[in-house]
Amino acid sequence: MSDCPARPLVSAYVDGELIGDERAAFEAHVAACEPCRVALEAERTVVATVRGVKPLPDAPAELRARVEGLLVRRPAARRTAWPAVLVAGVLLGALGVMVGSRYRSRPLAPELRAASSFASAAADVHLRYARGQLPLEVRSDQPRELSRWFAGRVPFQLTLPDYPVGPGEQKFYRLEGGRLVAFGGDYAAYIAYRMDDQPVSLLVTSADRIRPEGGEIVRSGALAFHLESVSGLKVISWTDNGLTYALASDVAVSGARTCLVCHGSPGERERLRAFPGEPGI
Amino acid sequence: MACVDGLFGFAYALSRNRAVAQDLVQEAYVRALAARHKAAPDDNIRGWLFTILHNVWKNEVRRRRPEALEDSPALIEALADPGADPERLLGRREAADRLRGAIEALPAPFREVVALRCVEGFSYREVATILGCPAGTVMSRLARARSLLRGSLEPGANGRGRP
Repeated sequence: MSDCPARPLVSAYVDGELIGDERAAFEAHVAACEPCRVALEAERTVVATVRGVKPLPDAPAELRARVEGLLVRRPAARRTAWPAVLVAGVLLGALGVMVGSRYRSRPLAPELRAASSFASAAADVHLRYARGQLPLEVRSDQPRELSRWFAGRVPFQLTLPDYPVGPGEQKFYRLEGGRLVAFGGDYAAYIAYRMDDQPVSLLVTSADRIRPEGGEIVRSGALAFHLESVSGLKVISWTDNGLTYALASDVAVSGARTCLVCHGSPGERERLRAFPGEPGI
Repeated sequence: MACVDGLFGFAYALSRNRAVAQDLVQEAYVRALAARHKAAPDDNIRGWLFTILHNVWKNEVRRRRPEALEDSPALIEALADPGADPERLLGRREAADRLRGAIEALPAPFREVVALRCVEGFSYREVATILGCPAGTVMSRLARARSLLRGSLEPGANGRGRP
């Protein structure tokens, strides 16, 4: 059957890709060629089988919502009360960003300047992780180990900070692990923390890919923190030293406490504790 | 939004991973929206979206290490015991599951053409445009892919769908 020179045309015939003289010639050939008739029938059976069952999955509702969010232009941001998140933004600026980077910044890709898209991405991955739909690719509570894992996998250098704890002292957060997530045609680093038994997510990409836009902006020194509410989550995003960050957490988690994932040294905690309205730090 | 199911199915056929497929679709929409001014009103927007998604995937493959992708061994294993006559199974859930497994087990170039032609109904020329290859390549890959699927669905086949 496969030796017949007309055999490669069977698929094209079934798909209606043969027209005119070519189609007529093939039909004349099939009328006289038993192997091609068998092949034609088999091909039709496969095509009907594929059409008869739905072989590929539909988009999940979660993805539909994400796409709808992209397609619908968001109304201008309403001013909202952001006490805890505001604290986080101000303190982050005052304390400086501790995640190290030696990434060499290049001109920003203009086509990727979608407003708030990085905050939306951070919220998406946070929700998916919280629902158990986003498995971690590396599990470790050791920042150094996680930093090593990301080296070479993301196009920037990411050094996660670690802080020693005193005798009998417990960390306010637990590093759970990380994974790669697609963003801006490249990979971003997703780092999962847990605080007060609630997940806290940090998404990091290069500043070439995206810079935060939209939301309420709190400036501190040279840094601008963008505070947004996305899918019921608090998201703080900022760019520093060639990297763009987004920190997403549930509303039940104090905004300033989420800063501890990078600013957990005793001196920094003291400064956080001193801030009004954040007694739980 | 009309394309989102098809795009997700195609993305899943490429990646065999639902989470990656979601990211691919979202990224394709982000890029399409950013570049929508480049698309003429009479352009084949649907084909354009699929082309963007395929380009996003190609970039991802270049970056991502093979072990980072999650295959679906359970679905591939579903081919191991094809069972009864495919015609009798037609319309039954097992047939659908087995066919999904057979498609997943196909090599990537064959999965692409099956998803685009057999599921999405693109013409050979459109598939060639989306994949950036000659139409003749589409035809030969499709013929080979269907041959493998047929073998997987036949009673007594080993069902691996591998060439």
